[in-house]
Amino acid sequence: MIKEALVCLEGSPSSDAATRAAIAIASDFNATLVGLAIVDEPDIRAGTVTGIGGASYKIERDDALVAEARERAADAVALFERRCRDANVQARSLEIVGRPAASILHEMEARDLTIIGRNANFRFEIERDDTATREEILHRATRPVLLVPESAGGPLGKEVLVAYDGSRAAKRAIASFAASGFAQTRNIHVATIGDNGAQAWEMASAGVKLFSEAGIAAETHNIVTALSNLDAIFGFAKEMGADLMVMGAFAHSRLAHLFHRSVTRGLVERTTIPLYLQH
Amino acid sequence: MIEATPPAHQTPTWAVFPFVGYLLLIAILPLFAPRLWESNRNKLILAIAAGIPAVVHLISLPSGGMSQLLSTGCDYVSFMALLGALFAISGGICLRGALIGTPFVNAAFLATGAVLASLVGTTGASALLVRPLLRANVHRPRATHVVVFFIFIVSNAGGLLTPLGDPPLFLGFLRGVPFMWTLRLAPAWALVNGALLVVFVVLDRFAFVRDRGKRVAIRPSNPKIEVGPLRLEGAINLFWLLGIVGVVFATGMLGTRLAPYPHAQSLLQVGGMLLFAGISWITTPRAVRAVNRFSWAPMVEVAAIFLGVFVTMIPALSFLQQQGASLGITRPVQFFWASGALSSVLDNAPTYLTFASLALGVADGGSGMLSTAGLGALAAHQTGAQLLAAVSCGAVMMGAVTYIGNGPNFMVKAIAEQHHVGTPSFFGYVAWSGAILLPLFALVAHIFF
Repeated sequence: MIKEALVCLEGSPSSDAATRAAIAIASDFNATLVGLAIVDEPDIRAGTVTGIGGASYKIERDDALVAEARERAADAVALFERRCRDANVQARSLEIVGRPAASILHEMEARDLTIIGRNANFRFEIERDDTATREEILHRATRPVLLVPESAGGPLGKEVLVAYDGSRAAKRAIASFAASGFAQTRNIHVATIGDNGAQAWEMASAGVKLFSEAGIAAETHNIVTALSNLDAIFGFAKEMGADLMVMGAFAHSRLAHLFHRSVTRGLVERTTIPLYLQH
Repeated sequence: MIEATPPAHQTPTWAVFPFVGYLLLIAILPLFAPRLWESNRNKLILAIAAGIPAVVHLISLPSGGMSQLLSTGCDYVSFMALLGALFAISGGICLRGALIGTPFVNAAFLATGAVLASLVGTTGASALLVRPLLRANVHRPRATHVVVFFIFIVSNAGGLLTPLGDPPLFLGFLRGVPFMWTLRLAPAWALVNGALLVVFVVLDRFAFVRDRGKRVAIRPSNPKIEVGPLRLEGAINLFWLLGIVGVVFATGMLGTRLAPYPHAQSLLQVGGMLLFAGISWITTPRAVRAVNRFSWAPMVEVAAIFLGVFVTMIPALSFLQQQGASLGITRPVQFFWASGALSSVLDNAPTYLTFASLALGVADGGSGMLSTAGLGALAAHQTGAQLLAAVSCGAVMMGAVTYIGNGPNFMVKAIAEQHHVGTPSFFGYVAWSGAILLPLFALVAHIFF
């Protein structure tokens, strides 16, 4: 059961969606939310070549960006606390100075679930996009992560699609999802994609069995298609009206991902429904 | 004009190492030891430490060492007085008023900057123009190219016309190059800045049309929108600027008459520059400097670093004068590319003097006549003048190739980042300069050298 969830805040519409989803989850489970705002001072002040006379301007620039980051973190925390108060959800906040990925990975250890906006940019002072932080979290997280796209903030729906490929990450995802309390009140569909229908069925059935061992009923689906895995999953999710997708994140090594486009990355980039991910 | 008289003996190879090592440390310490590099005191300590071997070497010379140290000290004080005076005066001028970053307005800024850079120095022109230009473009989704071309033109190539324009050229002036000599580089200046402006207008127009109607969100740190007509605050500083030009020009013209009085020229230069900087300080309202976020910290930093540069380069330059002809760099085109390549990755001021000394050695051909006469003789020598022109163009123009090639480059990047106007990463910027500047430099080399 989810007793405490971490919500990563950075003041963007993306973290706004994550906050809305987090408040809905906390209301369901009577859980406590911990809002985490990060001032990425180490990256802002990181060394760079400056040329003669440039170091003074770098200090001025660093001070201005850090001050702005602190202001934005304080605003994000204040907004989060006000929303939680309005929704009668127990909440507290943390404001950390540090590198975003390392800070989130450290804080998530003590929480049952970490909720992040899909396009959250924790390095907003120095980068236009921050896929690096998201990727590092998904690659190194030992606890489950709920990634929320901007269009999907709010209560989680009833239909859950579990994309199961038999990997250890996928098994861990099912185990943690079953233990989270999300699964008990939802319709679970376990789907496996394969060229061979029988093998795909067999694998999906193995996923269903994992749920049944936790006392949760689930439905088996095998998907045989000429489409790519990514398109097949999205197609099936749309067909069945999925509200939430569960999967193992980055089941292969980073080296393997260099050579094969990752399904996880594709899902993260294109999803319109929340993703429950476990590495 | 004080001439450093090279010693009659051979400078040992090891005497070059502190200079090379110091320049490398200046380049890499900000990257690998940023905390250490933040402190100007640490920079001064490093400068002194790097200079000790050179000082010991010079003191131990049987003759001429102390006079070299003294004349270099005079050059250093004159150099810093000029940079400081231009910095103080340009920091008291502020362009205010409502401006929208259209291609025409941006091009007008850059064209003005190209001329202004030769009058107030690339640092002064950059400091004066960069904030108004950024304010005018802060709401455009794509303004990275504006920053890049500003660095190309205003922070570098624009400063080619006078010794006031760029520190390398002022160092040349201090070493005897006549004030008006750099005007012969006007065709190269016009070609490079003209071509860059044309490319900029094409790119900016494309981006402007494509992003029409799109605006980026306002950030808390974005400057307040300027209102009212375009106006120049602190315009009185333009007079003090003319005073600086007059001081440098007059002391340059008086050079030969002052020859019997050692260091008199330096004293006059420094006194004149401090006078006009002081007048500027008194006559400029504090509010104008506040808008420019004026601070002496960059000048203190430059003073600390250049102290080490000036001391460590004494034996290095002697070595190059003596060994110049044997190093294989003999033709103007080679000097252009070699001085440019080094200016791209190290600061262009010491690079200029390094290659000017090498050119002295090459033009001298071992006779010793030019070596004792300094860069003034090189500028007057038929072959030497071509070599010096190549070194001047290479050092000034190619300072734009990376963020560390010239002082103002990183200043512009840092100020742009404060305004949340996108700037390329180090290698992203190198890609811009590789694509735009290198073909242009190839053309310059083909036409002029």
